[in-house]
Amino acid sequence: MLKLLREVLKTGEATLPYPFEPIEVMPGFRGKPNHNPDQCIACGACAIACPPNALTMTTDLDQGLQTWNLFMGRCIYCGRCEEVCPTGAITLSPDFELSVMNKQDLYEQADYKLATCHRCGKYFAPVKEIEYAKSILQQSDLPETLKTNACTLLDFCPECKRKNDVAKMVNLYQEKNDVTR
Amino acid sequence: MLRDSVTNLTVAEHSQYSIHEDPAAAQLKGALLKDIHRSVYVYRVDCGGCNGCEIEIFAALTPLFDVERFGIKVVSSPRHADVLVYTGSMTRSMRVPALRAYHAAPDPKICVAYGACGCSGGIFHDLYCVWGGADKFIPIDVYIPGCPPTPAATIYGFAIGLGILGQKLKATHHVQGEDEHAALIHPQTPYLLRVQIERESRRMAGYLYGEQIADKFLTITEENPNQVNENVQAYLDKQADPRLAEIMNRLTTVYDGYKGAA
Repeated sequence: MLKLLREVLKTGEATLPYPFEPIEVMPGFRGKPNHNPDQCIACGACAIACPPNALTMTTDLDQGLQTWNLFMGRCIYCGRCEEVCPTGAITLSPDFELSVMNKQDLYEQADYKLATCHRCGKYFAPVKEIEYAKSILQQSDLPETLKTNACTLLDFCPECKRKNDVAKMVNLYQEKNDVTR
Repeated sequence: MLRDSVTNLTVAEHSQYSIHEDPAAAQLKGALLKDIHRSVYVYRVDCGGCNGCEIEIFAALTPLFDVERFGIKVVSSPRHADVLVYTGSMTRSMRVPALRAYHAAPDPKICVAYGACGCSGGIFHDLYCVWGGADKFIPIDVYIPGCPPTPAATIYGFAIGLGILGQKLKATHHVQGEDEHAALIHPQTPYLLRVQIERESRRMAGYLYGEQIADKFLTITEENPNQVNENVQAYLDKQADPRLAEIMNRLTTVYDGYKGAA
């Protein structure tokens, strides 16, 4: 009996005081994905990578909105979104206290504006994504003429880019024919 | 009889058959939650889970977390239960047992959707044989997301369900502001160099850690571009990690190669 008591006293209390005191979370713990909406460019890389489709992107072409949605109830905390995010807008925080009484509180949304094509006027890509691509171009060591050309092309939708390319090719072909004649 | 009638239903008809809580029972539950003075008995309903959630529930019962100090006890019959914990993505064949457990438990009862699967179907949400979450036909009071929820998250979820703690998570809706721009990562480093460094680092250390190491390396190079080798060495000496040293030395070679070509 005394031996047992001594053993018990030596061991002390193993039980953690949580929830009355905060619990220590190990480094590298993957908790709630934190979305920094200012840094997000609405490119949709996370929505493509997300295995359980907790992250989804919806496009509203009537209002010109791209919406980023996170449904926390479906997230499996794999961290793929953090891996693929090109701007570092998503990071997995050590926050694990995510239980809710109301299902609506598990949803997170962010609306981003879509840009219109400079030629046909249709919505085609998020404004921030185009801005980001332009700033990357400006940062690169490409020649200035190439940079400005590429920047103007960024404002065209894929279809108009294709039309532009075809028009250029036709011009080249005609010039070549003129030379040979 | 019940089994025959529910197996031949379409999805739309099933949703009509979902349970709506009796107002009297809801009132009782409100009163119970307001003034709870006794321990709660929990019955687990495993509706097609991978048993990860079960392991975490049992981890919450171990001396380290010890939910029994709050009087939360796992029982083996729904007839004794105050709380029903639904785990798993609710497969088609587990629908009837889930309903039977619900009806067997005495009112007032608290239903908990446990884990990503219980909340919404999780990674299995679009499978042909899955209803996608317990809340499709059972009135759920508490959602505990996680895959699986850690024992601490489990305790937190129960504390919310029993009204001991308040809920932290709130729905958010951000709308793009007028002057909102995404900042470039490492604006001083040429884009092509950054891509080369990130690619090499990710090749050696994997996607997530590779990015973190590349980020650290580029931060060191941006601090003083003339003293890259020395600064990287100083950092590596501090870390004393041979794996990190190998990767960083390789990154230094890539960096020098780019600078030499330019």
